[in-house]
Amino acid sequence: MAGRCEDIPGVEWVKGTGEFIRVVPELCDGCARCVRVCLGDCYEISAKKALVRSLERCMKCAACWYVCPRDAIVFSWPRGGTGFRTDWG
Amino acid sequence: MDGYDVIVVGAGFGSPVAARKCAEAGLRTLMLERSARVGEKVISGLTIPFYGFLFGPDFIRDGNLPIERPVDGIINYIIKDIDSGDMEIDDSLRVPKPLSPVIAFGYNAYCRPFCQWEAEKALEAGAELRTSTTVTDLLREGGRVTGVLTDAGEEIGARLVIDAEGSQGLLAVKAGVREKYPPEVISLADVYDYRMDKEDVDRILGYSLRFCWGWDEQKIAPPLGHGNGLMVWPYRESVHFCQDQCLRMDGGEVPNLRGCFQEYHGNITSKLPWWRDDEAPRAEMRAHMWEGFEIFVGLDARLREMPSCTDGMILIGDAAGLEGTELCDGVPAAWFSAEIAAEVAIEALRAGDVSRDFLRRYEDRIRDHPIIQWSISATNRYNLRFAQEHHDLAELRKYVHDGWGLGSFAHVSTPLLKMILRTLQKDPNIITSWIRMFFRYHYNWLHERYDYSEGKEPPARGDRGRSKLSQILFRKTLEAMDLSARMLSPFIRITARALEPLSVLANPTMKVLLPVVEMLFKGFARLEPATEPLSRKLVEFIRNADPEIFDQPRRKG
Ligand SMILES: Cc1cc2nc3c(=O)[nH]c(=O)nc-3n(C[C@H](O)[C@H](O)[C@H](O)COP(=O)(O)OP(=O)(O)OC[C@H]3O[C@@H](n4cnc5c(N)ncnc54)[C@H](O)[C@@H]3O)c2cc1C
Ligand code: SF4
Ligand code: SF4
Repeated sequence: MAGRCEDIPGVEWVKGTGEFIRVVPELCDGCARCVRVCLGDCYEISAKKALVRSLERCMKCAACWYVCPRDAIVFSWPRGGTGFRTDWG
Repeated sequence: MDGYDVIVVGAGFGSPVAARKCAEAGLRTLMLERSARVGEKVISGLTIPFYGFLFGPDFIRDGNLPIERPVDGIINYIIKDIDSGDMEIDDSLRVPKPLSPVIAFGYNAYCRPFCQWEAEKALEAGAELRTSTTVTDLLREGGRVTGVLTDAGEEIGARLVIDAEGSQGLLAVKAGVREKYPPEVISLADVYDYRMDKEDVDRILGYSLRFCWGWDEQKIAPPLGHGNGLMVWPYRESVHFCQDQCLRMDGGEVPNLRGCFQEYHGNITSKLPWWRDDEAPRAEMRAHMWEGFEIFVGLDARLREMPSCTDGMILIGDAAGLEGTELCDGVPAAWFSAEIAAEVAIEALRAGDVSRDFLRRYEDRIRDHPIIQWSISATNRYNLRFAQEHHDLAELRKYVHDGWGLGSFAHVSTPLLKMILRTLQKDPNIITSWIRMFFRYHYNWLHERYDYSEGKEPPARGDRGRSKLSQILFRKTLEAMDLSARMLSPFIRITARALEPLSVLANPTMKVLLPVVEMLFKGFARLEPATEPLSRKLVEFIRNADPEIFDQPRRKG
């Protein structure tokens, strides 16, 4: 069931999301825009490509999806009832 | 396939309004929400401005909603130099006492209980709700949307789909109804929730929102160069804090938002005098959240003109790009568009025609809605970037005053007046509902009363006899107003209809009269020592009132 979101107060994380964000390496040019806008620190650059490090701090703001200039981010929602939840939004 | 008349995707702010109206019309209606509990994935401010309640759905206006605090106005801080504490204040936009805080500029709320409250109202009307269900795609037949596909692989058919999925609009984009918005029009909001004792919130922030605007190099409020700022909302026993910034400026670089937001938040909490000295010692951080929202869609003609319906589907609220550009308020537009979508859905299903050609009347009605059109096209927040570019204090003052000060009267008077006159034509008797609404909301705020909750017991009355007399008088006044409105309703209707075309003159007239209005408001502010006791009396009157006098149903005119 819901566990605390690591380092983020007031937000819980429900497991079982499935892979809801994915980078297509062939399209990614390693520009790091996704890294710069992700407040959850979910991305890293490795060998000039973006990698999803962990999605357990992802609040589904879609900033990464919006800024990616090469449409290299495949973006969808976590499985119903999973992912972040909060009482304080 | 199991068929519904209408499926509404999402159960945030807009969806339940559409679902309730469709269900009331006898349509088999289903809301599908991806979160386990309604509202727990909605991240917002949140002040819902008064016009949302006045011109929005009846059941909200006449309901008992979970309100966190009434708001009576905005205090703007223009930060010139944070290290020397040099800043100016523009607090001109405020409901004057003794009307404040009972007559409010808006109401603050948390999303989870508020969306839950709305969803309950849709369920009461007969709509169905399934939570923990993500809609992953739309079903189509010959190009027409005929239902949805869920993450459990279930296909659910519907004669019409109302897409209330919120700002990212994944389904709308996937279905090719509209494009994904460019980063220039998206703002990323970094939101904190702080717990604080109610007495401290009352004393330090009272009923005012606080907005901060600072030169980029001050690194105290998010860069004006990105057209955004910092907002602080007082809640019942907490304070909400939001800094937001566009993801990109005019085709330029994508900023390092992670770094900036951390730096600004650190600077604000340690340097901004009222935060550092008053808030920080008493506030305990309870939550940190972030969310993107489509702030400037309405200012881009190409994006604004993108369709918000296709064969078998209508987009509402944030999914249709209806976020307000100045107050960042999207809830009123979500409510208005939800009601219009439901009206059109009912007409379409009765006519047996859900084609885009038929549904276009939804787009026409959105284009004809004075408040939606004003709120998606106001330019003061966008223009802050020019004040930064020119580093011109006079320009900055002007945008702040015109956006979040009394100067706003020169661009909001026409849409407001037009909306009032249109509403009066439909229901001349509505004025007393508006008055009752402010009183009932305040009663509910004082006693933490809202539907589906027990609330607090009203305190024992001191001077029972007198307060009873004043209540009877108040009730009689409302009844007299109801009666006169009913008797005068043909006349009110005709007058409102005759005056509506003249409402276009309200903005230019207000522009000319603004110096006088400003003087009047300054006068009210000076009178505050005298009007404050009256304001307190009004609050006590409401605290001790029998809520029935505000809840009393009124006959429509
Ligand atoms: C930081 C911030 C501050 C704001 N401040 C204010 C303010 O002060 N005043 C104001 O009026 N507005 C404010 N807004 C805007 C306001 O929150 C939105 O305009 C409003 O929530 C829009 O309502 P909606 O119904 O269109 O979408 P939402 O309220 O976002 O609801 C969408 C719902 O759909 C669900 N959903 C999405 N996709 C799917 C799917 N595929 N399947 C199933 N369910 C799905 C979501 O979980 C959500 O519950 C603010 C927004 C932000 C981000
Ligand atoms: S959606 Fe937001 S939080 Fe999630 S990975 Fe993208 S930028 Fe980070
Ligand atoms: S923004 Fe897109 S292209 Fe750039 S690094 Fe991230 S995934 Fe790759």
